[in-house]
Amino acid sequence: MQLAINIAVLAAIYALIACGYVLIYRVSRVLNLAHGELMMLSAYLLLTTASLFSKNPLIALTAAVFLSLCVGVLVYLFLMRRMTGEMVLAAVLTTVALGVLLRGLVVLIWSAQQQNPAQALGWANYSIPVFGAGRISAAGAALIAVTTLIYAGLFLFLRFSRYGIRMRAAGQNPLLAAQRGISLHVIYALAWGLSTFTGAMAGILISLDSGLDSTMVLIGLKAFPAALVGGLDSLVGALLGALIIAAAEVLMIYYVDALLSDVVPFLVLILMLIVRPWGLFGTREELDRV
Amino acid sequence: MSALLRIEKLEVVYARAITAIQGITLEAGKGEIVAVLGTNGAGKSTTLRAVSGFLGLDDARVTEGSILFKGDNLANRPPYLITKLGIVLVPERDKVFPNLSVVENLAASVPARGADRKRLEEMAFTFFPKLSELRGRTAGLLSGGERQMLALASAIVCGPELLLVDELSLGLAPVVVEDLAQRLVEIRGKLGITILLVEQNAAVALSIADRGYVLENGRVVLDGDAARLKNHPDIQEFYLGGAGERRSYRDVKQYRRSRRWYG
Repeated sequence: MQLAINIAVLAAIYALIACGYVLIYRVSRVLNLAHGELMMLSAYLLLTTASLFSKNPLIALTAAVFLSLCVGVLVYLFLMRRMTGEMVLAAVLTTVALGVLLRGLVVLIWSAQQQNPAQALGWANYSIPVFGAGRISAAGAALIAVTTLIYAGLFLFLRFSRYGIRMRAAGQNPLLAAQRGISLHVIYALAWGLSTFTGAMAGILISLDSGLDSTMVLIGLKAFPAALVGGLDSLVGALLGALIIAAAEVLMIYYVDALLSDVVPFLVLILMLIVRPWGLFGTREELDRV
Repeated sequence: MSALLRIEKLEVVYARAITAIQGITLEAGKGEIVAVLGTNGAGKSTTLRAVSGFLGLDDARVTEGSILFKGDNLANRPPYLITKLGIVLVPERDKVFPNLSVVENLAASVPARGADRKRLEEMAFTFFPKLSELRGRTAGLLSGGERQMLALASAIVCGPELLLVDELSLGLAPVVVEDLAQRLVEIRGKLGITILLVEQNAAVALSIADRGYVLENGRVVLDGDAARLKNHPDIQEFYLGGAGERRSYRDVKQYRRSRRWYG
């Protein structure tokens, strides 16, 4: 039972991060390799807002999420916007540079020490018994709930809302989208905003669960195989990929060795790339772009 | 008649080296259907791209002349803003979003400023009743003719004042082309819009157009009323497959020209 709970929480973490990769890749074919860093930045932003609004945890949370969303849109406006129309590789390298910059910045501003935003908010991360047999931490339960909500929201948004449909359209054929009057800049900014929003939720909840230091980037990196295994342009794929990676990792830790945990996602990734390089739900013709 | 679109002495250069269009002057009045004819490489598509703002993609730019839409110069405006002004292009290929359904394709269109989306969508379905049967169908699974219908319908939802149609007949059966051409006439009649039709199939284009231009090597070599063009001996011979020495297009043209010049 405990094993299943652990898998569910880890899968929720990976899925929440992976959908950020998918959103941006789907509309602009760019792999945002700074996603892990942006996620970490959100958690640190929470640390700051928590000390500013220490009496009001909800305001602190909302402010942190809002600031992260702004960071995402600003990154697009001042950095990635200039990359539209350039080679995709150039854009991907830009995100790598951004990642390095953010990592340095975070250490400079908040120091490299382990921090604890939950404490700053005055919250204790108590654990809840589940069905008598296992236990789940409050933040873990929140992670599963938030991931479910965000995925449901994204599905509805992309399926039924006009901007969601336009996002899908722009991802399929940007040229035609422009001919139909869709402003690609608005769509890309929206994708970056949504992506950093979901990343922020992940970063904040993880930091509430297990504290915060610069190794959080590693979690972002480990979610990348989840997105790839699912097929980079599919949300269902990201969900399933996250589940596979999480299951493999938790089982490996339990039955073999905890030291393997950081390696497992990439082992699964390599296996997947050999067997089915376009991922579970990816489109085959996307391959030449990866 | 006031011109809705006026292209004046337009010159377009590709990669700073190749002049694709050498001083074209062209006009389209409100409510007119204007055909632009010519073989491959004559500069038809480049003209359309210049109007719809897509030259930059191919490393081409307007080096001289102007494109005036309702008196405003369009040069160097981004494509989506040109669409919002009311100039909508139906491209030659890749004209629908293949993974979206028919309804979603229509929903993706952004109407021009001040246009009534609901009315436009209803209009689109009245022009192409077949599409309402196919509402939920994925666009990638449609036949060529249905795709062209969907492309035209999506363009209508953008609320155009000027519709640019690139190769309406490409890859379609003659019956289907005939039908689509009649729809264009209907659309023009009901919405009162201007249509610029770029075609290789001169017979179809001239059958519905009011006026026409013939381009060759980036220049306008002939222009006038559609009826007059249809009966012009050169058009008869090169485009409509009439009687005459049937050589390759260039040879015949060359031969006729030299005959004209040297008596």
